[in-house]
Amino acid sequence: MSSSLLTRWKPAATLVRQYAKPADPTQGDQRLNIIRRVLYPGNIRNKPTPTGTWRRDVRQTVQRAIPSVQAHNTIERAWLLHKRLVRKRREEQLERKYECMRRAMDELKKIDTKLYMEANQVDDPRRRSEAEMAQMKGLPVMEARAFDARIRGLFPRELKIPADTPSSTGWNYEWTPIERPI
Amino acid sequence: MASISRLPCTTRRVPAARSLATVAKPSKPVLSTAVILNRAPILTPSPTVFERAFYAYQQRIRRALHNPFPSEFYFKQGSLLEARFNSEERYRERVAWGPGYVKEEVMSEERKAAEKAAIDQMALQDRSDDKLLPRVHPSDRVRDYQSLDRKGRRNLYLLIRDTGHKTPWEFPRGLAAQDELLHQSAQREFLAKCGNYMDTWIVTRKPIGMFKPRVPEQAPEKITFFFKAHIMAGQVRPADSMKDFMWLTKQEIQTRVTKEYWEGVKDMLSDH
Repeated sequence: MSSSLLTRWKPAATLVRQYAKPADPTQGDQRLNIIRRVLYPGNIRNKPTPTGTWRRDVRQTVQRAIPSVQAHNTIERAWLLHKRLVRKRREEQLERKYECMRRAMDELKKIDTKLYMEANQVDDPRRRSEAEMAQMKGLPVMEARAFDARIRGLFPRELKIPADTPSSTGWNYEWTPIERPI
Repeated sequence: MASISRLPCTTRRVPAARSLATVAKPSKPVLSTAVILNRAPILTPSPTVFERAFYAYQQRIRRALHNPFPSEFYFKQGSLLEARFNSEERYRERVAWGPGYVKEEVMSEERKAAEKAAIDQMALQDRSDDKLLPRVHPSDRVRDYQSLDRKGRRNLYLLIRDTGHKTPWEFPRGLAAQDELLHQSAQREFLAKCGNYMDTWIVTRKPIGMFKPRVPEQAPEKITFFFKAHIMAGQVRPADSMKDFMWLTKQEIQTRVTKEYWEGVKDMLSDH
């Protein structure tokens, strides 16, 4: 009993720290230190890059990349001219297509007003027509889902954007038709 | 005996508009609907020589100016991935600035060999069986005009004609019915002529253009309204196999259709 009394008494100053220790950068998770070093590198003399650094030989490397101020400006202007030509060609083509469509619609208006008004109607993608509802009733679940997938008035999902290389399967020539009302 | 007054019939019975011979000028024009079926480009356009040179120039400038790569953040120190990345980066620097420009750290021969062996090992593991196909398809070389894989970068359009009568090449066309809307006529006639085995989508109800051929004085006016459609899958399979078809670019169409037809149709097609 006397030994337990002796062990319980501890001098406070030596065994229990009453203040926080300063953080030791070499201990603990090093990932935070890595992130800190990457985000705030040592030499932040050369701004305005986001982290404030360039490569060591940035001056002569840039001289090597850009032949001269005049050359760089000429290249820049040539590029802008090229972009302008491409844009103008595309805009002219669009203008011609629109003109074709406008003339066709004017002609249709002269010929038959009813057909013209119907052509100007926009399909509501939220609605199914009666013919579509009737046709969907008789179909099994999977076929009904495939039938419903093509929505009048919206772009079809199967319309793909161009890729850099063709697909390994190529064009699907053996497509099986899904009957849809006209 | 009631005599039925016979109307002057053309060789093809016209279901919708009729004109009487007694009237000097025919009143209603004969409407047809045609479908311009477009296979959109499958491949991205190839950059021109100038574009490639410009992109290379800009890439060099960016390489000259970019921040030093934080290798310790992306790779574990001394790992194989880091070794591979460093070797690739040294190659890219040599390509950008020339062989003698960047001072490379001197590595012992055995260290170089070890690094090369490690990189080869990784390449063996990473290699997959998926190979990228070339952008030029075999049907380009053979000039198979019925193939939908030909000319991946271009817009292809469907042209059709009767094999027997040798009618001129034109877009699939049919007469418009009286009780139908124009886009419905276009869809119906197109399915009748080219078969059901294609996944097509007519874009809008509005016609994208019209063509009025020159007709003799007393004949009724003929107008064809064109509708734009896209094909996503399948192939033309005409109900009666007395039809020829081809998938052609805009320039190829010009050499095959009549001059009058071309003048009416050329502005509706995409140049590229």
